[in-house]
Amino acid sequence: MASVQPSAERQNQKLNENPSIRERLRSSFNRWVKRRIPPAREVTLDQRRIFIFPSRTGFFFGCCLLVMLIAAINFENNLSYALTFLLATLFIVAILHTYANLSGLTIRAVRAQAAFPGQQSEFVVMIERGKRRDHYALYLKWPSSSEALVNLVDVDSVKVPLHMPVDKRGWFHPERLLLESTYPLGLLRCWTWVDLDLRALVYPRPLSSAELPGLATDTPDGASAMVPGNDDFFGFRDYRKGDSLRQVHWKGLAKGHDMQTKQYTAYADRSVWLDWELFPALGVEQRLSHLCYWVLAFDERREEYGLRLPGVTINPAVGEKHREQILKELALFGTGGSTR
Amino acid sequence: MNIKQQVPRNALVWIIISLFALVAPHAGRLPIWVLAVYVIAVVWRLQVHRGLWSFPGRWVKVAMTVSSFVGIYVSYGTLVGLEPTVALLLTAFALKFIELSQRKDAYVLLFLGYFICITEFLFSQDLLITLYSMLTVLLVTTALVALHQPGQNRFNRGTLKVAGVMLLQAMPLMIVLFLVFPRFGPLWTVPLKTHAAKTGMSDFMKPGDVATLSQSADVAFRVKFDGAIPAKSDLYWRGLVFSRLEQDVWSGLGYYDVPPNEQRQNEVVVEGTPLRYTVIIEPTQQNWLYGLHYARARSAGIMASSDYRLVSPAPVETEYMYRVNSWGDVAVEQELSEWRRNTETKLPPQGNPQTRQLALDLHAAAASDEGFVDSVLSFFTSESYVYTLRPGRLAGSDSIDQFMFQSRRGFCEHFASSFVFMMRSAGVPARVVAGYQGGEINPLNKTVIVHQFDAHAWAEVWLDNKGWVRVDPTNAVSPMRIEMGLEEAMASEGSFLAAVPLSPLRYRSIPLLNQLRLRYDALTYRWQSWVIGFNSERQFDLLHSLFGEISARVFATLLFGSWALVLIPVAISLFMRRDTRPVNRLDKHYRIFCDRMALLGLVRAPGETPGQFLSRAQEALPAFADKLKLITGLYSELAYAGERNEAALAKFTGTVNQFKPDRRRGVVVNDSVTL
Repeated sequence: MASVQPSAERQNQKLNENPSIRERLRSSFNRWVKRRIPPAREVTLDQRRIFIFPSRTGFFFGCCLLVMLIAAINFENNLSYALTFLLATLFIVAILHTYANLSGLTIRAVRAQAAFPGQQSEFVVMIERGKRRDHYALYLKWPSSSEALVNLVDVDSVKVPLHMPVDKRGWFHPERLLLESTYPLGLLRCWTWVDLDLRALVYPRPLSSAELPGLATDTPDGASAMVPGNDDFFGFRDYRKGDSLRQVHWKGLAKGHDMQTKQYTAYADRSVWLDWELFPALGVEQRLSHLCYWVLAFDERREEYGLRLPGVTINPAVGEKHREQILKELALFGTGGSTR
Repeated sequence: MNIKQQVPRNALVWIIISLFALVAPHAGRLPIWVLAVYVIAVVWRLQVHRGLWSFPGRWVKVAMTVSSFVGIYVSYGTLVGLEPTVALLLTAFALKFIELSQRKDAYVLLFLGYFICITEFLFSQDLLITLYSMLTVLLVTTALVALHQPGQNRFNRGTLKVAGVMLLQAMPLMIVLFLVFPRFGPLWTVPLKTHAAKTGMSDFMKPGDVATLSQSADVAFRVKFDGAIPAKSDLYWRGLVFSRLEQDVWSGLGYYDVPPNEQRQNEVVVEGTPLRYTVIIEPTQQNWLYGLHYARARSAGIMASSDYRLVSPAPVETEYMYRVNSWGDVAVEQELSEWRRNTETKLPPQGNPQTRQLALDLHAAAASDEGFVDSVLSFFTSESYVYTLRPGRLAGSDSIDQFMFQSRRGFCEHFASSFVFMMRSAGVPARVVAGYQGGEINPLNKTVIVHQFDAHAWAEVWLDNKGWVRVDPTNAVSPMRIEMGLEEAMASEGSFLAAVPLSPLRYRSIPLLNQLRLRYDALTYRWQSWVIGFNSERQFDLLHSLFGEISARVFATLLFGSWALVLIPVAISLFMRRDTRPVNRLDKHYRIFCDRMALLGLVRAPGETPGQFLSRAQEALPAFADKLKLITGLYSELAYAGERNEAALAKFTGTVNQFKPDRRRGVVVNDSVTL
């Protein structure tokens, strides 16, 4: 319908104008920040990346200085003038000191812990100083994370863990990390927003189902096949890199033998295929949630399990790495994110 | 609580230290209960810190605030004025400290602390007070810094250093601002009348007043002459003129006592070169200033009264500097108006008949008014009058008769008062002049220090053709007082400064102490003349002598130029710290190489080995594969070689230096290097 009354339309636009201007400003600011501080694993703070402005305390201090100046003028008291000017120039000198407190710092993404929706994911960043000077009261926070206040005194770097709730399956990108400081006088606020290119994996939310419908097994005849597992002790073999430390034959090692790994068997007839097609009636997210639940259940029981998703097949196995791999596939299924 | 709002324990300690440092110089002026509030506040807050007590509730706070207002009102009798205001400020400071729990409370507290530092200057701008205030500013600033050092749970003196360095860096800029900031008058008048009694002249005089004042060793003012210092016996510092005698009390004429046509000073024709001098007067809370006869102020804003005195429009509440020209032998008021003659010969209708009679007799015997003056003076000399600081009390109505014919012991005010009484009895216009006489010359800086004990009263007589002439009857009785000073005049009596046994002036005979005292006084003079006396006049002179014509451009250049001069070294000291990164040439140049690669978008990941980085780079920039390989190869070779290979290192650094990629084109320029 092209014949909408123009005045009404304009009015509608007007009503929406305020938020849209705000939104537009915000998004253009974000674009500007993105150009200025592009995402990176590691950011060294320099004049392009540090912003500085008087803090609220600074403005309050300015008002106090004004009152002092008026007192000095009114009482024609030279020492009051001198003290007012001293404090005013202290403010100026503090600009350099506050700026220097952030300048030269390097913020590095260390790791982000994978988590289930509703849990807190731990993000770890490292702050490193570039020069031998002490940095105090560095305040770090992502918009929704916990906050941290750290010093860099007599050490060159410090690792800072921050916790953030995650909710949606897939990769979770926190927004920009705020790093700010008002040291030494609190009169100026010096800050930066860095995008650390750090992301956390969020698994599907596990949904229990009483029975795993129509277990798909690999060997229908139930013949016993030797597959390494965790159930029954079978024998020793030489330790290979990647073996679980829990299965190392520590007693033998203590007696002076080479490092050996205890081997257990699991029966192949117990190896399970967690298949996309097991839940034909459900939607994507629910299927993934049920699959996730069973991954955890089988992992708990130390039973072998494999995964079949459209386009993805992971052969049955057991262990921490295996579980992580499968959970990652479930987390990223259909999100377009690469598992590599 | 927000982690940013926590107050570290170290900060709490510094705040307590500055709390006591701030209140200490005010302690003498405060009622004792305010000091008790400080102790209670600190104890309370520490108990809160230890978890034993809790913060005061709202009603407790209201009760404390109200009771401190009441307390101040009871102690001072008013809430208006400087002292009650400062006392309120200090009490509020202590009470605010009790409820200090967050960083924002601490800001309010510490900024209030800076303000308290300023109020101290309204009472005194003394050198020692200034040094002390600098210390308190340092302490408050330290507390402010400590507030931003989280996790410092032990007392940390390093914080003091941070604050000290910042204040030192601010100092040069402060001096520039101090010198160039335009000085203009008060925006509105402020009631600053201090309730503390000041020693000094008052605007009336009764027998015994000057003698009391002579027990004080305080400095009244300091004078610096442009040329040679005149003889001590010529230094009569006129401050007040007393023309009215009522019930034994001499007082000056009030503003409404003088008819409008008599308000203006008669024109005085001056000739010859004047004495030029500068006076820095200590606060008197009064309007009158001191000068030698006939004084004309060179400083702006000083009025001249009809009795030839200098008057400041506002009471002198802090140290005040003014410049004067004086002509010693110029005659003033050669024509006496009818009103003036009546005023200056007026006496109470009754009283002191003996003295009146004596005056009439002597006047009848003298040939002229001048001869009469001489005969009265010689009467004082011949009749064995005693000049003493302990004249004894003169009771009863006819006190001048008592002094003249019975006790015959008196201080300057007795002689001056009797002399003027006798002049007026015979119809000769005369008046009492009060001020100071003489002064101590500080040989170190050639200033004349006038103390309160130099207070003096003398007389002025109006003579035909000569106008007002100074006559000092004390000189007739004790010439020593005028030529040497009070101490010498009272040597036999031993009464000089008997009331202040610890005054350093009493130990002038010990050379070392005397030297120290004079040195400190010279320092005080310098301080007063350069810092306290710095006003728009001096500012103009200084800037004019330094920069010639003063324009807005000169101002701006001076301001910004000096700021740049100071801030640049500060910035350098802050940012040019030693790098924590390795400084050996090999790693440094490899880093340069990596930085240049980063410009092309190839950032070496943390933990990526040079080999891995090379293969990635070669893939991205196949055209420069050889050179990349060379650089990486040399680096690996040198990094793992046991001993130094200077030649290879030189080749490596040279190669890296010539490897200059172009960001825009994504290619390496300057490729014509022979490798």
